[in-house]
Amino acid sequence: MKLLLVEDELELGEIIQGALIEMKYICEWVRTVDAALDKISFFDYDCILLDLMLADQNGFEVLKELKRQEKSEGVIIISAKDNLETKIEGLTIGADDYITKPFHISELIVRVEALMRRKNFSGNNIVKYNEIIIDVFAKTVLIHNEMLDATKKELGLLLYLIANENRVLSKAAIAEHLSGDLAEMLDNYDFVYAHIKNLKKKMNAAGAGDYIKSVYGLGYRWKNE
Amino acid sequence: MSKKLLNKTLWVYSIYAIIILVVAAPIFYFAIQRLYVKEADDTLLLHRKEFTQYSLPTIKETEISTWNRFNRNVEITKGNLIAHDSIYAATFYDSLDAEVEPYRVLEAPMNIAGKAYTYKARTNLVEVEDIIKSILWLFVTIIVFLLFGLFFLTRQLSLNIWKPFYKILNQIENFELDRNTAPRFIETSVQEFNRLNNSLRKLIEKNLTAYQIQREFVENAAHELQTPLAVFQAKIDSFVQKTDVTQEQATLLIGITDSLARLSKLNKNLLLLGKLDSDLYQEKEPLAVSALLYKNLDFFAEQADSKNLKIEINESDKCNIVAHPALVEMLVNNLFLNAIQHNIESGSIEIEVKERYFKISNTSNSKALNKDKLFTRFSKLNAAEKGNGLGLSIVKKIAELNHWEIDYRFEGDSHSFTIKF
Repeated sequence: MKLLLVEDELELGEIIQGALIEMKYICEWVRTVDAALDKISFFDYDCILLDLMLADQNGFEVLKELKRQEKSEGVIIISAKDNLETKIEGLTIGADDYITKPFHISELIVRVEALMRRKNFSGNNIVKYNEIIIDVFAKTVLIHNEMLDATKKELGLLLYLIANENRVLSKAAIAEHLSGDLAEMLDNYDFVYAHIKNLKKKMNAAGAGDYIKSVYGLGYRWKNE
Repeated sequence: MSKKLLNKTLWVYSIYAIIILVVAAPIFYFAIQRLYVKEADDTLLLHRKEFTQYSLPTIKETEISTWNRFNRNVEITKGNLIAHDSIYAATFYDSLDAEVEPYRVLEAPMNIAGKAYTYKARTNLVEVEDIIKSILWLFVTIIVFLLFGLFFLTRQLSLNIWKPFYKILNQIENFELDRNTAPRFIETSVQEFNRLNNSLRKLIEKNLTAYQIQREFVENAAHELQTPLAVFQAKIDSFVQKTDVTQEQATLLIGITDSLARLSKLNKNLLLLGKLDSDLYQEKEPLAVSALLYKNLDFFAEQADSKNLKIEINESDKCNIVAHPALVEMLVNNLFLNAIQHNIESGSIEIEVKERYFKISNTSNSKALNKDKLFTRFSKLNAAEKGNGLGLSIVKKIAELNHWEIDYRFEGDSHSFTIKF
């Protein structure tokens, strides 16, 4: 899968690109709107990660150009601006998703995955992992072809863990994925433990592999045994 | 006890007037009395002189009894009891008025046809008393009129003179540093007030600038900190991904990420306070408080579950207000989370929604909190607390911006916060 990262912050760009490449994506990185416009006129990408406040121009220019060229790239806006107006404007011009800085890389990955599924498998949004089959639209989970009685939250958690296979996910990152901005207010992430425990118990009972590993107190990791 | 400026002047005037009246009246009374007694004595002496001059050379011994019969106030008696003239006060019974009256009496030795006689003349002082009383009344009336006039004039004059002062006072009272509009003082005809105006204007301008600078500093600092914090967080994340961490390293990393999370939260709150201070949330719309409450109820119920808390919501009436939805949500969320975090195991949270009224109470094992410190930025009432001490000051700020009344109360074993919209 081929991604284009448009981000002028040097260190942040490096980290995002590094993490995405590690997740087996092909990721190119440009730092200006001009460079991004050059790239999209010559190449096709599956997804563009677009910062809005760039040194030369507003990132919205890239969105407008994509629309003008009638290109079908998925676009996720990554911006420090977290006001509703900017969000709505971005989504109206043609962005598919919006993620506010600072974000956890794992959150970006799960959003990219979700976007790719929406783009590539029209109407048939299915995630498979060994014996596990998740129908994202129908919101059902099958393990060994048996329906798993999972809550909406647990299903989201499962998708999140699988999308970030092999990555250590901190409790804070999981909490934010589960509760959004509200998680920022919390002093402790005990509820993450409760959700993970419940999910593990249900999966165990259904005969799934023990994929969710605890990494000391740091967080959790989805790992194929 | 403090008095109004105007009353203070008048108060001093009144005291002065009373003292003058009390002191001056007796002095005046005695002075007039003395003067009159002297006048009476002079009259007696004059009469005696006239008697010696005109009557004595021609009076015969046989005429004395006749003289005494027709002169009620002059009596010539035989014998010489005194050597010199003497004047003294005496009282006589007046058969006409049937009362004892004060008199001045003059006794003088006299020689009639070579024999010793005593000349005794007297004058009534009753009229004197009456005159003194009349004069005193006149005097008191004049003083009273004078003082009342002074009182009234001063009052009117002061009211006029101090008018600009009260205006300035009003303007300063209504001035709020964080509202960003300096009061416009009007030029007066009094030099001192203009000086006051000028100094106040300078003071306010300086304060506004200082406040602005401080606010911008906090905002900019928080904004500039965002990126390094994000990089910090991302780098720790990628470190965790790339290394096979040991238990020991993990413990250290947990410490780092916890502190980092607190730092990020603090920074976000500072940014938010900065935005609130600059009044960036202007757009208001009608909304129901309970809708915002139910919006995140799942999340809070989940948090409450870990402490086994019971949440009870009583909505006896719709609470519809006009405000910025994000702010109301923030307010409700902060209070709700506060009630969860400071609760006891298996405690309870009670929420009451009425017209223009929102109350949230929670059980706790801590005593009543210090009301003065509660809403102050960075105030931690309990050193062991994990929060950054900004949550309630955000709540307070939101309430202030919307002119809502916020109150804290401790009843029984429950702490409650009330907002009157």
